[in-house]
Amino acid sequence: MSVGSSATKRLALATIVISTLAIGAAYASAFGRGGVPAWAGWMFAAGVTGALVATLALGAMRRDRGLGRLVGPFALMTAMLGAGFVAVFALPDSGAAEPLLLGLPRRAAIVLYGIGLLPTLVLPVAYALTFDDQTLRPEDLERVLETARAARAARDDEAAP
Amino acid sequence: MKPHGMLPHLASPTIVAVALLYFAGVVAISIWSARRTRTAQDFFVAGHGIGLVALTVASVSTSVSGFAFIGGPGLVYSIGLGAIYIVLPASLTNVLGAWVLAKRMRLLGEVRGLMTVPDAIGARYRSRGAQGVAGVAILIAIVGYMATNCLAMGYVIDAIFGTGIGWGIWTGMGITLAYSVAGGILAGIYNDVFQGMLMALASALVFGYVLSVNGGMSGISHAIMPAFPKFLGPWGTMTPIAALSFFFVFSMGSLGQPQGVHKYYMLKDPRQLKWYPLLKTVGLILVLLLFFGVGVGVKALVASGRMAPLASPDAATPSFLLGFTPVVLAALVFSGVAAATMSAINSFINIGAAVVTHDIPVALGRKVGNELYWGRVSTLVIAVIAAFVAQYSGTMVAFLGVFGWGLFGSTLVPALAFGLNWEGATRQGAIGSMITGLLVTLVFETLAFFKVYSFPAGIAISGLSLVLSILVFFAASWLTRASAAGQLDADVRIVMES
Repeated sequence: MSVGSSATKRLALATIVISTLAIGAAYASAFGRGGVPAWAGWMFAAGVTGALVATLALGAMRRDRGLGRLVGPFALMTAMLGAGFVAVFALPDSGAAEPLLLGLPRRAAIVLYGIGLLPTLVLPVAYALTFDDQTLRPEDLERVLETARAARAARDDEAAP
Repeated sequence: MKPHGMLPHLASPTIVAVALLYFAGVVAISIWSARRTRTAQDFFVAGHGIGLVALTVASVSTSVSGFAFIGGPGLVYSIGLGAIYIVLPASLTNVLGAWVLAKRMRLLGEVRGLMTVPDAIGARYRSRGAQGVAGVAILIAIVGYMATNCLAMGYVIDAIFGTGIGWGIWTGMGITLAYSVAGGILAGIYNDVFQGMLMALASALVFGYVLSVNGGMSGISHAIMPAFPKFLGPWGTMTPIAALSFFFVFSMGSLGQPQGVHKYYMLKDPRQLKWYPLLKTVGLILVLLLFFGVGVGVKALVASGRMAPLASPDAATPSFLLGFTPVVLAALVFSGVAAATMSAINSFINIGAAVVTHDIPVALGRKVGNELYWGRVSTLVIAVIAAFVAQYSGTMVAFLGVFGWGLFGSTLVPALAFGLNWEGATRQGAIGSMITGLLVTLVFETLAFFKVYSFPAGIAISGLSLVLSILVFFAASWLTRASAAGQLDADVRIVMES
């Protein structure tokens, strides 16, 4: 494993652990006497964003080149989820007077369109466009198929009388 | 409308006729599939021979179940936008599954001839114990899922045909069993394709009617905001942590749902994975339009006085369909709901049968002689037990259904999703995390059900259980890190590095 990709993997794993601890801390705060503190929601949102993006990165990175061309889409994804949650928490609650955005109250629109729908245009498209050089290269597939053929032959030998 | 069970009575000649046509289609597909099922590999993983489009549509269909059409819109109607966090991760979960699990599981299936999710865990950690614990966890979660879906199926069939709930359960189970026993997962897949396409079409049409009846999204917002100001707030009537718990459990937790993950084995060619996440995400969003649309649309109709407040939130979809759409479309959706519950049952029966005939014997160091035959027998036995549980366990069914998703997530996500992507994971970490997820979920769900102890408002047991199982997985793997390299076979390492 290259030094760069090893460091990226360690970063992804550390992010998953720290993010999970953040979510755990948010849950733990709810056991306090004064009810759930305001920071708990922020911490939970940061934790879930970190855990998701780091898990995506852990699955997508390659042993020899880390995230390669996927760094951009992952950075964009983190920014979209992060900015979405920050906006939802930070924008004032105007009740029935909240302005509409694409037919929904502004903060609801950010949730539905920004956090819910927009990611469809980023990661699934990035997955398809980088599949042949990042996710499953022909030489990798051939190596696995060769291993599978050898394993089948060994099983057949074992089964033979 | 007269309340009938949990749903209004729907019987009309058109609805009954469409439902009968629908079931006839299911039977025809099942007979065709049964003729192509010859081996255990055919029965449990469709002979690793399903194409991209079929797998995508079937996977969408399995992902949603009847909840997306009845319970989901009802939940949106009750608690507003907070309920949307259940489906909000749909744009991420498919690509998450594709990157984290799909390629590795498909290639592991190629190398080792695997059939089940516990198979993958057993192969990854070279541990029959880990495979057995995963199998037991899946079996426990399946009992809940199956019983809940059986009951839902009984309610829907009763509402359409007026059979009574008991006969509804057994009629639906009879049809499901006919195709599950005969055609295994192959019949399930092709029935799911048929059902998935109809569900996507029906959902998109219903969403169109919701917008048309209410004057678009702006009309819906203008109707709801003065009457129910919190409803379209970013968390609905929930707290931020409660809503975000949904988001966490239904995104990360998706990596542990065997009914979805198991399908990666079935793809004919691993290179077809390229377009799988995009196609499935688009399909899933189409199907989920009804979930969101009917929930907010009915609330807007109630807010503007065009519809009386619902007696039960689950009546949101039936009330809207019967009052505001053509009867043929209503019939299609009702049949689709019945079919979706059958599809979920088929999927879970198949996974449960694989655990009984394959994973648990493997964990005990034994091998079942004729897995196809015993797979069919187990299918029958599991189905009958689930139907009995659904019919006779009263409120316990709701309890069992609550924790299915969470139990799958907290027991399987760390061992499977992180384990297949991190060479440093150990079997001690995997087994520790699975046992933690199992115990925390079962103990606290039981205490809550019997009103002995409940967590403070906003804390989801499934969310906390997932957090704890992830932390135990990493902590135990770190403590036993010296054994990690020795637990990884060469062929598994090749798959993980590919």
